[in-house]
Amino acid sequence: MPDLTPAEAARWSAFAGLPLPAERHAEVAAMASRMNDLAAVLRELDLGDTEPYRPGGADATV
Amino acid sequence: MRPSDLTLTAAAKAIRDRELSPVELVDSVLSRVAEVEPRLGAYATVTADRARAAAIRAADEIAAGTYRGPLHGIPYAIKDLIDVAGLPTTASSRVRADHVATTDSTVAKRLDAAGTALIGKTHTHEFAYGFITPQTTNAVDPSRIAGGSSGGSAVAVASGTAVFALGTDTGGSIRVPAALNGVVGLKPTYDLVPRDGVVPLSWSLDHVGPITRTVADVALVLPALTGRDEPALSSDITGLRIGIPRNHYFDRVHPDVSAAVHAAITRLESLGARLVDVEIPMTRYVLPINWAVMGPEATAYHEQTLRSTPELYTPEIRLLLEAGQLIPATDYIRALRAQTLMRQEWLRVLETVDIIAAPTTPVTAIPVDQQEVPWPDGVTETVSVTYVRLSSPANITGLPALSVPVGQDSAGLPIGMQLIGRPFAEAVVLSAGHAYELST
Repeated sequence: MPDLTPAEAARWSAFAGLPLPAERHAEVAAMASRMNDLAAVLRELDLGDTEPYRPGGADATV
Repeated sequence: MRPSDLTLTAAAKAIRDRELSPVELVDSVLSRVAEVEPRLGAYATVTADRARAAAIRAADEIAAGTYRGPLHGIPYAIKDLIDVAGLPTTASSRVRADHVATTDSTVAKRLDAAGTALIGKTHTHEFAYGFITPQTTNAVDPSRIAGGSSGGSAVAVASGTAVFALGTDTGGSIRVPAALNGVVGLKPTYDLVPRDGVVPLSWSLDHVGPITRTVADVALVLPALTGRDEPALSSDITGLRIGIPRNHYFDRVHPDVSAAVHAAITRLESLGARLVDVEIPMTRYVLPINWAVMGPEATAYHEQTLRSTPELYTPEIRLLLEAGQLIPATDYIRALRAQTLMRQEWLRVLETVDIIAAPTTPVTAIPVDQQEVPWPDGVTETVSVTYVRLSSPANITGLPALSVPVGQDSAGLPIGMQLIGRPFAEAVVLSAGHAYELST
């Protein structure tokens, strides 16, 4: 997965409602890239009709 | 033996039999606080006057024939992430320096009703987002980390400044510090213990639970937290099927830890348990689910203060929170779906065994200045990855998981064994741990 650039981190942070000061762009981009690299591993799963986990759902008292 | 060194079980019996006054017990614990707290730093706030008043009240009630149960007059500590009316809940963060809770959390209210004496509020890694708890030092070796995020609670129990304590656990934050300080910690089944009045880290993964000196002590605290009956502890584990993971849980584990846990498992076998090899499912997805769920949820909770006063967070936590908003919503939802799948797969494994036994942590408490954990295969892990990877599966699946001390490494540092069971089968998990501790 391509890493976020500092400029992209700045743009998307502002887009999400939390503009970052310029000196934080590179550091946040690097950390977000590490998190997204991990999250992207889940894309290889075939989740079929699996629903998001909901506490108290059908199997909660199995 | 000082009263402050008693287990909860022993202290409760002595109070019930009127051999020990709650006032004497609280005074002993407060003396211990004065003695060791300056070097251990387990507490964010000590509530000595409140504890003494509660002890006097308990003594009067007991003298008048009103005994509320095994927690009556017992001094305890609560993680400073959990609201107690009239006290600050700082989450060990400057962000909440001026906070004062207006109401009790349900767990604080229930413990108050049980007649406990609150000694104080214990340090957490800032907002429970880490495994170090830097304000606190390890109870066994001051050059080592306390572990976290419930580091203050574990160190208080281990050092005699609380008879038991409450912690929270999102990726191992009760079990990891319990293991690193040689005490017992239970992360109960998801939703078994109420979380209202507890500052969240990640709603989908957060749990509240007790840290104690023995497994039998856990069985005394749990009913007060849940409002349910006391779990029926049995020391007879004949025929109990214990799953021994052939993957994940013994990979990249220090040889001393591995040897101690295997020895404890052998002990359980000698007590009548049956050992069964099991394959742990979806291990590749533990860290991805952990981060893709926790990252966005933590950022969502902190959104307003991150916008208004970001400079009040420590740089480490600010960075994690700022990065968390850059995980796409679709990846977050995918992680929640994967969480469902992982839970289903674990429940399938637990159809073939009653519990699973494994190390709580891959290594014992690391030195306070250590940043990474190198392994013989050439891989170097961050401290967070090392401490989270064996404990996080029970958060993702919501299964009850207990950490029990099973000896020390060659440096004398405590080692923990983790026992993981079916949903709401706390009694089974605790019985296995109890049988083990009775045999040692």
